[in-house]
Amino acid sequence: MTELIQVIILGLLIGGVYALLASGLTLIFGVMDVINVAQGALIILAAFVTWALWDATGLDPLAGLLVTTPMMFVIGYGLYMGTIRWIQGKPPSTSVLLTFGLALVAEGVMGLVWSANLHSATPSYFNQSFRLGDFYFPKAQVFGCAIAVGVLVFLYIVLTRTWLGRAIRAVSANMSSARLVGVNPRDVAALTFAIGVATTGAGGSIAAVLYPFLPGSHYAWISRLLGIIVLGGMGSLPGAVVGALMLGVAETMTATYISPRWATMVPWAVIMIVLLARPQGLLGAKLREDVAV
Amino acid sequence: MRRIVWLLALLPVLLALVFAAGCGGDDDDGGDAGGTDTGATDDGEASGEPIRIGASLPLTGDFSEPGEAARRGYEVWVEMTNEAGGLLGRPVELIVKDDQSDQNLVVTDYNALINQDQVDLLLGTFSSLLNLPASAVAEQAGMVYVEPAGGSPEMFSRGFEYLFFAQQAVSIHQADLFSEWVVNLPEGEKPATAAYVAADDPFGGPVAEGVQNQLEAGGVETVYSEIYPPETVNFDAIASAIAAEQPDVIAQGSAGLQDGVNLIRALQRVGYSPQQMFQASTPSFADQYSDAIGIENTEGIFFAVSYHVDAETPGNTEFLEEYRAAYDEDPAEDAADAFAAAEVLQAAVEAVGEIDQDAIRDWLRENEVETILGPLSWDETGAPEQAYLLAQWQGGDEQIILPEDVATSDTIVNPKPPWSGR
Repeated sequence: MTELIQVIILGLLIGGVYALLASGLTLIFGVMDVINVAQGALIILAAFVTWALWDATGLDPLAGLLVTTPMMFVIGYGLYMGTIRWIQGKPPSTSVLLTFGLALVAEGVMGLVWSANLHSATPSYFNQSFRLGDFYFPKAQVFGCAIAVGVLVFLYIVLTRTWLGRAIRAVSANMSSARLVGVNPRDVAALTFAIGVATTGAGGSIAAVLYPFLPGSHYAWISRLLGIIVLGGMGSLPGAVVGALMLGVAETMTATYISPRWATMVPWAVIMIVLLARPQGLLGAKLREDVAV
Repeated sequence: MRRIVWLLALLPVLLALVFAAGCGGDDDDGGDAGGTDTGATDDGEASGEPIRIGASLPLTGDFSEPGEAARRGYEVWVEMTNEAGGLLGRPVELIVKDDQSDQNLVVTDYNALINQDQVDLLLGTFSSLLNLPASAVAEQAGMVYVEPAGGSPEMFSRGFEYLFFAQQAVSIHQADLFSEWVVNLPEGEKPATAAYVAADDPFGGPVAEGVQNQLEAGGVETVYSEIYPPETVNFDAIASAIAAEQPDVIAQGSAGLQDGVNLIRALQRVGYSPQQMFQASTPSFADQYSDAIGIENTEGIFFAVSYHVDAETPGNTEFLEEYRAAYDEDPAEDAADAFAAAEVLQAAVEAVGEIDQDAIRDWLRENEVETILGPLSWDETGAPEQAYLLAQWQGGDEQIILPEDVATSDTIVNPKPPWSGR
């Protein structure tokens, strides 16, 4: 019983980190119909910058997110204006190709700047855990979950309490009507993309501490994130959170009770099963393509 | 109609380009290798027709780093041999082709070396992936094939006669010295239980399997044994399960650097430190390893290597001198393995007295060769019969501890100290 609870704890904690990383991806897809396959690479880019700051100045990676988040916001905005906006309105497959290309470019640049050696930020808590009775809670994951909560609350507030948030929701619901009420869809899209990418700043700082990484590490992350947003319902933030937690627990339980060999298959199996059984995911809305505006 | 005409016109142009690239490519590689020819330069003793040795190496592509290291190992051997009077009194000429880490090109290269360049002797390429097809080419041509890096058991299950692997052991025997040492510990020190974690990988995996077989035979109970995909990053579940069993020994057949590091970090997070810990190749990554887990945490971790710069093996000092003079840094393990492969070939050729592939093959089958990796000898499949050097991290440095005659440290850290809080 103790083991089961510990396994679930570990699964929920890593699920919380996944939720943090998936939040930006889900926001971008939900609003813009863009599947940003480069999200993983951007997370690793933020991780590299976090590491560089930590290595040069000793700045704790968690504090580093105060630097990387605005930086990634600017990069996201630039990426949108430079590349993504030209394919707005095209089918999602176009965005997959484009963002995959961006991911490869980012990987190449990171390899040039930082080399393909393994990097890890190792502040004091990188290998420690909180203890409560018989159970242990790895510190890096706990901090990741705390940040995830903060980011998700922030996103929720922006989406529901600010004009920008209402504009975002208007554009995602019906773009031409949004224009009629004075919303400029392109500006909103740019800001949405920028916010979505800004979340990788926080995600990257945790990723830098969690596991050693190199430029090619983004593939592992993006496969999980895609699984999560498919499971949760593409475009639904609460769905992404639920999906992330479920995936974290599923992976951990598979590794413990079946075999570690099957654990890496879990995200892919999830995508397949969900798309076959309930394509809109757990909390996604059913859409009819033929009446899309 | 117009379009078809254009296409038809383009076709021969394309074919001509492909043809030129294909032929030109080989010639270019041959030309580059020609630049690395080393005939008799410094001495007056080696004379006569040069002995031509051919090899293909992954100088570009996925394996370019170890491929280049292997090339350096071969080059240093050629330099040293020619300075000392050549092979059988004749100067040695080395021809190196670039197989670009590609299985098809390596076959083309070795065919070219044998049939067009008509080399006298062959040396192998880097990695089991490339040596598998290349050794088949050599076998068909009846030429001895000594390779520096390709220890997957698949290599030796084909009934080849001319194949010889110039490292101490195939992967399943890599950790023999560790297993032996554990099993022979006195009562009271000897561990009772062990956990095994193996990557699903042809090199790393069998290492853990080998340790498990020997430790079980030696009376150590297995409490956990699992295989994981080599790209696994999240070891928390595995570490948690291992910690629940409290094994004395943990042996990991790691595939590379990442998986080894991540297991240790997960063990640190769960707060479990075994009495003895062995990892396949991860601890040999020097700074990258110690940075990733914290240098205090490396203390006492065992691993196996084929070569160590300070090992007191025959010829190592001279090799190091020559290598450092040529390249201004210490040799990587792959460079040393390549040098040893050349040493093996040299020993056989000199013992036989002439270039007779069958006689060389028979001699190697029956004799032991002293190399910078230590003594090497082979069984009837071409698999070597020794064990890798057993190494351990001590005081922030990698030390060889067994076999004793080549050890760089006369202490063994046992048991492993607990993880430090950093």
